[in-house]
Amino acid sequence: MKELNWYYPETLADTAKLVQQKNVFPHGGGTGLLLRKLSAVDGLIELSQLPLQRIKITGDFIEIGGICTYGDVISELMKTDPEHILVKCLHHSANTPLRNRITIGGSIAMFPPWSDLMGALIALDAEVKLLGKNSGDFPISEYIKDKNLHSESLITSVKIQNLPWRSAHYREIRTKSDMPIFNHTVLLKTADGRIDDSRLITVGTASKFTRLSEVEEYLMNRRIETINPSEIEKRVRLKFSGSRIDDPEYVNLKAGIELGRLIQKALRS
Amino acid sequence: MNGKFVVNGKQYQFNFNSDERLLFTLRNHGFKEVKNGCLEGECGACLILLNGKPVNSCQVFTASAIGKDIKTVKGIGNLHEPHVIQEAFVEAGAVQCGYCTPGMILATYALLQNKPKPSESEIKNALDGNLCRCTGYVKIIEAVKLAAERLNGVKENKALYGEK
Repeated sequence: MKELNWYYPETLADTAKLVQQKNVFPHGGGTGLLLRKLSAVDGLIELSQLPLQRIKITGDFIEIGGICTYGDVISELMKTDPEHILVKCLHHSANTPLRNRITIGGSIAMFPPWSDLMGALIALDAEVKLLGKNSGDFPISEYIKDKNLHSESLITSVKIQNLPWRSAHYREIRTKSDMPIFNHTVLLKTADGRIDDSRLITVGTASKFTRLSEVEEYLMNRRIETINPSEIEKRVRLKFSGSRIDDPEYVNLKAGIELGRLIQKALRS
Repeated sequence: MNGKFVVNGKQYQFNFNSDERLLFTLRNHGFKEVKNGCLEGECGACLILLNGKPVNSCQVFTASAIGKDIKTVKGIGNLHEPHVIQEAFVEAGAVQCGYCTPGMILATYALLQNKPKPSESEIKNALDGNLCRCTGYVKIIEAVKLAAERLNGVKENKALYGEK
């Protein structure tokens, strides 16, 4: 077996150099790395000594360090905003011991199709801070699309606006410990009994995620009592593919039904 | 590779492979109470406390845990001096084959450290990473409640008599 080199940097400057070495990768919680074959990996950078496990909450923004775990995010946000969409998304993701290992930075970098995190970050227009070859701040949608941004770079934090949304999250699972086939994230703003703004994201589609713009248009300025679940259902035209999807049409139908229910749930939140 | 670790309050120097999982390092050095289950982070048989937090040791590279504080089930109590949680599991009949029990007990320990009086849903949530294929969980949840009651009773008695 090939020997892995482990690096234990104590400064971000040293980490920036290490991350640009060939076949050397950051190690946050390690759960994603354990799913990969390590034959192409020469070295791992252990990040736990870096100041990246902080969550800063101000009036305007929430900034989450790259090596904060799901558990860290849940426990910190529970103190100030237990109804925050990130609490709802992450609370049922994986299980307690895994939530104590899975990091925010690792989850963004890997973006698996069952991600419970990414829908919320996309809906919230998160901004990703990178260190290394591509140092700088990038909208999360750009980071997802542009694979060049992933190379030789480390996610040091993710920043979201601290705005009050009505929100809800749905995971399509068969058993509690399942990785979801898809999940919906719903953010709504209401004013005077009408929908003022909405952001609806489905993760797990053939294109990884889909913004449900047609449903958002239907909801815009609509009086809450006139929202019709069957109108929502017919505007959901999601493409699903992959080995976990037996019947894409059925999954799309289920996605439409669940979205209608979830919007009602978000309105009650 | 080698590194220093604190296991159950005692310092150790372990040799291990660079891609080794902490589960195997611990078992190779005699901590057989850490059970090898699914190797996927699903079952919780290998659960330990790493710097006080429950994690699956099968999902941790040993090299990433150098210098950290590790607690196995033997670190909270033993045959001579069992922990209240261990006693509660036995009394409630929450142990059958026993393979999941070390992980269950440590998950309970971590829960009760943070939430001395957990609700049933908080208990279920805290044990959501621990699978048991014998008991059906009813007795396990009863054991957690019994342990919480007893630990709170001890604390309340101490407070009553002005002890720390």
